[in-house]
Amino acid sequence: MNTSRRLWAVRIALAVIAIAALIPVGYLLSLSLRPPDDVLNSRLWPTEWTLTNFTKVFDTIALGTMLRNSWVIAVGAALLAVVIATPAAYFTARRYRGERLLTALLASYCAPPIVAIIPLFFLLRYAGLTNNLLGLVVVNGIANVPVAVWLLDGFVRRIPVEIEEAAVIDGLSVVGAFRKAVLPLLWPGVVAALLVVFFLSYNDFLFAVYLAVTKESQTLTVGLSLFQGDRNVQFGQQAAAGLLGIAPVYVLALAAQRYLVGGLATGATK
Amino acid sequence: MSRRVPLWLALPAVAGLLLFLVYPTGYLIALALTHSSLAHPLRSFSGADNFSSALSSAAFVPSLARSTVFAVLATVATTTLGLALAVLLRARGTKFGVVGALLLLPLVTAPVLIGVAWKLLLAPVGGGFAQAFSAIGLGGFNPLGSGVAAFLVILLIHVWQWTPFAVLISFAALGVVRPELLESARIDGAGTWKTFTTVVWPAIAPTQWAVAVLELVFGYKVFDLIVVITAGGPGFATTLSPYAIYQTGLRGSFDMGTAAAQTLIFAVVVGAVATIVTAARARALKAEGS
Repeated sequence: MNTSRRLWAVRIALAVIAIAALIPVGYLLSLSLRPPDDVLNSRLWPTEWTLTNFTKVFDTIALGTMLRNSWVIAVGAALLAVVIATPAAYFTARRYRGERLLTALLASYCAPPIVAIIPLFFLLRYAGLTNNLLGLVVVNGIANVPVAVWLLDGFVRRIPVEIEEAAVIDGLSVVGAFRKAVLPLLWPGVVAALLVVFFLSYNDFLFAVYLAVTKESQTLTVGLSLFQGDRNVQFGQQAAAGLLGIAPVYVLALAAQRYLVGGLATGATK
Repeated sequence: MSRRVPLWLALPAVAGLLLFLVYPTGYLIALALTHSSLAHPLRSFSGADNFSSALSSAAFVPSLARSTVFAVLATVATTTLGLALAVLLRARGTKFGVVGALLLLPLVTAPVLIGVAWKLLLAPVGGGFAQAFSAIGLGGFNPLGSGVAAFLVILLIHVWQWTPFAVLISFAALGVVRPELLESARIDGAGTWKTFTTVVWPAIAPTQWAVAVLELVFGYKVFDLIVVITAGGPGFATTLSPYAIYQTGLRGSFDMGTAAAQTLIFAVVVGAVATIVTAARARALKAEGS
């Protein structure tokens, strides 16, 4: 097959997969544009159209505050997790028997947090960090360190150790070599890890619902779950709120994607 | 190199471990060995009572096998699909692009909303697919009606939700395959598959194994989907372990002792399966020399 035909085959395959994968998200959009009576209309698209869900939802829940809280928590947690995880991943990938830390981190991530939430609650209350955004930044950030370390470890392992050895021979310390020679090549991994921890924290429900119950500290996921308790669930408004949460994250993913490639692929080291 | 990597690089992560592994695990063990309710934790020592009560639960014990099957199938599906999609994305250029970011949307959507969207899509009366189902002669078809089907539907939704994670990481990993190696494989006349197995896979193997390990854990952690879509049913068909433990915790006056015992048992099962996967990873990476 010649290259350009092949490229088109790839593009078409991707487009088909993307459309299929997006049906549920498109359906959410369609729900958000329907009046309540039209929710169960047996179709993927509305029979009656309305935009009121997008205005009414701001009266139903404190959407503005919730969005802000979710963003603060997710950005803070992503930065915290990756700042802790990057040196730790260098340690696990390069130090003799650093693997053991990797195993311990995985163990801490395996336990379902449902019951572990009780001791954490006591700890945060003791520190005065319940109902507090900083508290949720710390909890989400630390809880996701294992994910970030595991991901970054894989990326560190791909960098030829000769690069660091050359830097050390040139007179840098090991930590200096890590900073000056390894880190620049690690960017795709760092960006991927930042995005992943951002997504995981942004969508966290369990920590948010138990550790932050005041109106000022509630997150979007908690706000979305509030709809579920009603006798007549306002699916349209719920979908509208969810989409208003997704849209800026999509923009973030688009903005971050150009940093996903880099390092060795750009030929920075030859 | 390895001996000179200073210990302090790992200190913050270790501090996090103390906070998130050692302290809660100690607390869990204490809860599991005592009569404990939510209002009155650690009332009195109860020996192995909580463990025998944990193991006599009709919902919990079978949920361990069910969760394991779920997590293993989910891992195989998400990692394979994720890598395949990432390769397709790379095949059209170095940019993740609008399509790549679109593929991430399931990962970005709040789990509650994912549950709601799929539940309404699949509702036999008035659901988004209802008309399409009757058009192909499946009018009133309820995919969540039978046990096996409901399990597979939840699996499918979970795979839909977590494949984007594998896509994102695999895509970033493919970016660190050195172009000069690809070029020399091409000059040597290696075909696409040969190039993939000899050049690409060795470069991305460490990341792909990490993705597999994390996907395994995500598969064991499924909770929100069950709460919103099936509430564990029909029967116990979709009662995966976190949901079973959650129900134990809600039982009576919030039976935290038994829930803690079940959490520990569950952790042992997850740990055992994860160990098998990490051992396979260690062997594979050693063989690859990375």
